Amino acid sequence: MPCALDEILLLLTMKQSKRKTLLQPFLFSAKNRFFPKNRVPFRTLGVLVFSITVCLVLYAVSVKVVTYFHSQNELGIILSLKIFQMAWIVMFAMLVFSCMVSAVSTLFLSQDNEIMFAAPVAKSDIFFMRYVTTSLYTSWMMIVFSIPVFAAYGTVFEAGILYWPLMLGTIIATAATATTFGMGFTVVLVNLFPARRTKDIILYLSICFGIFIYIIFRLMRPEDLVNPDKYGHFIDYLSSLATPASPYIPAAWASNLLSYYLLDREIDFLITALLIVTPLALFFLGEWAMERWFLSGFTKSQESFGGFRSFFSRGKYRRSSLQWTFLKESKLFLRDSAEWSQLFMIGALVIVYLYNFKVLPVERSIFEEEYVTNLISFLNIGLTGFVVASLAARFVYPSIGAEGGSFYIIMSSPLSTARYILHKYLFYVIPFTVLALILLVVSNRLLNIEGPMWWISVITGLIITWTVLAMALGFGAIYADFKAENRAAALGGIGAILFLFTAIAFEMAIIFLGGSPVYKVMLGWLRSGQLPLGDMLTLIGWILASIAISLFLALFFIRTGIKKLEASSS
Amino acid sequence: MNEPNNTNYKKVSREIGAGNVLVIKHLTKKFGTFTAVDDISLEVKQGEIFGFLGPNGAGKTTTIKMIAGLLQPDNGRIFINNRSLASEPKKCKQDTGYIPDRPYLFEKLTGFEFLQFIASLYNLEPETFSRNTAHYLKLFDLEDWQHHLIESYSHGMRQKLIISSIFMLEPPLIVVDEPMVGLDPKSARIVKELFKSHAAGGTSIFLSTHSLEIAEELCDRIGIILNGGLRALGNLEDLQREARLEHSDLEEIFLELTGAYELQEIINALRSG
Repeated sequence: MPCALDEILLLLTMKQSKRKTLLQPFLFSAKNRFFPKNRVPFRTLGVLVFSITVCLVLYAVSVKVVTYFHSQNELGIILSLKIFQMAWIVMFAMLVFSCMVSAVSTLFLSQDNEIMFAAPVAKSDIFFMRYVTTSLYTSWMMIVFSIPVFAAYGTVFEAGILYWPLMLGTIIATAATATTFGMGFTVVLVNLFPARRTKDIILYLSICFGIFIYIIFRLMRPEDLVNPDKYGHFIDYLSSLATPASPYIPAAWASNLLSYYLLDREIDFLITALLIVTPLALFFLGEWAMERWFLSGFTKSQESFGGFRSFFSRGKYRRSSLQWTFLKESKLFLRDSAEWSQLFMIGALVIVYLYNFKVLPVERSIFEEEYVTNLISFLNIGLTGFVVASLAARFVYPSIGAEGGSFYIIMSSPLSTARYILHKYLFYVIPFTVLALILLVVSNRLLNIEGPMWWISVITGLIITWTVLAMALGFGAIYADFKAENRAAALGGIGAILFLFTAIAFEMAIIFLGGSPVYKVMLGWLRSGQLPLGDMLTLIGWILASIAISLFLALFFIRTGIKKLEASSS
Repeated sequence: MNEPNNTNYKKVSREIGAGNVLVIKHLTKKFGTFTAVDDISLEVKQGEIFGFLGPNGAGKTTTIKMIAGLLQPDNGRIFINNRSLASEPKKCKQDTGYIPDRPYLFEKLTGFEFLQFIASLYNLEPETFSRNTAHYLKLFDLEDWQHHLIESYSHGMRQKLIISSIFMLEPPLIVVDEPMVGLDPKSARIVKELFKSHAAGGTSIFLSTHSLEIAEELCDRIGIILNGGLRALGNLEDLQREARLEHSDLEEIFLELTGAYELQEIINALRSG
């Protein structure tokens, strides 16, 4: 018996050491990236300071928002806890889907797969390694930035010191549940799908994700939260809180556990046990699924997307490099299901976006409806800019790094870097202009906006869109990652975050500067139907200043990007 | 190739000498404190095949990337067809075809689309494009695959596609990094014959290789690079003299010049062990 025990212990030790070895490339890469040898890690410190600042801002904003709800009449606490529950569900859903999308890449399409699976390593060990790296990669940001939001509840509800470790543990357990579920489900899904193209899975996942987000958004019923008429459904709210809508969703367990603690300072040990046991159970199920189904899925994933069929590529050759850049970009986009499937997401986004304008309860405002709609139309410029910036971060920012190893072809050709960037810009400017115009013009139509505000909104919206695109390309060139496995991976990088930050700061500056001149012009127009010359000149001055700022920023970032590309070693 | 008639051009022509397509002067590249390429100077004449040999990590690829305009040198100058690469990069790149050792391509394009894209980058005449693509695709057995996505190509097929794309352009200078990697014997033979026939037609070829047989068979002159510096330069007889190994083959000369004296001991140890 002791002999058998010794053998088991030896096996376990060997397994552990193998798993440690498998994690070494990830750990060493992270160490070298964040703590380079013989150098002060300024970049790491920068990221740290930036993250802490964002966390503090998030915490302050969350405290303010939760305090506002909490201080409302007797419904305040219920409303704030309802938002709490939704935040957990959204976080959980986003983690599951982002983990699934990443898991298809890390498990089945990673470049080091050939080394890993040719080595005498058990599939379960590889699952462990992929699980650890994928979950850290997909969930770190969500965990870091959800802490201040959930912490704000502890502060507002005065939950005491025990709330903090409980909250932290709950966040980690929920994230672990989401990622273990995502990983295991991906292994099964890739095996089950008869498709010869593993990457198509991403398409289905993206559609699911889009629809899920859409449903979650509608479930939040934001218009109900600001509509006192609906407060009559008090009982509904109470019951929905008392009996969670989805007792099978781990996010609801997390929300309930913390809600009970926030309200009564009591810990539900059944939920606690569920939160601890579920990720462990899912992990072992994932390991089992990996042993059982991985090889067949991996075999399918190695079949090429187009290997079995030919494409229509007999188009006439023309000498225009601009035309061919357009063709190349569009073909690469349309032939990559991970890319074009995002169009469904954009479609869902546009529908939700415009639907919100349709159901906006402007008629219940205490101000005149016309004033409110014009104000919303003005603020909508910033909102459109935000959508454009987000999509630019997803599509335009990684477009230079996405050339990957093939970038040498561009750099060794007579096409200058500046012209290459210009071609890229022209390629993206058309769809983004159309998108911005749809968002601006249709929402203006839904708000019944006419006259000067229509023009202000469209002109400023386009200036912002065109500048943000240039900034995305500039940042994309400065922080080009030619080794990123896919475009989505570039989103987690420091460059993407800095781009988003800069783009949003720029948009806010333009909107802020325009507040006063637009207000004056619109006041004159709405009161008397006239445009006073002085106010018009100020408005024109603002637009010209916006153009000047935009041109400066666009050229600055594009030029810096070009310099960086030309100076960087291939 | 266009020859601009200006004073700058004449000045550069005088500086680099007539008949040279590629001239490298005091080329140096450092990565941090490590000197990858150290003060290299050489010329490649029109119609010449120049072999660039050296052990792993000697600086071959770094030199080639600087010639292809992918890396900025820290010091020194590169002239292609009497033009400075630093001051006229576009024209120099127009005259240079670069074949890398690793065939990274746009995976979601078909082979034919890739050729169209490359041709448009180099502004190739449509007639030349039609004539050359048909010829090279047939030569490399890629005809049946030209409308399939590159992601379904094998390593060798990718390499053949890149080689086709460069020969299609008919550049005066071809820079090749390890030309035979991944090629089957038939394709390797074709590539060798292509190099020879193009060189005979006036194209200059600068190739780096580990294969001493290829260098011996193809190259008119050879440069041996060691630790970033040019250790020896000349034709086979020059190198034999330099290594004091008359009537020896390139392998012995290479080992002698690169200081791999311990090799014989290793071979003996392996044989006895």
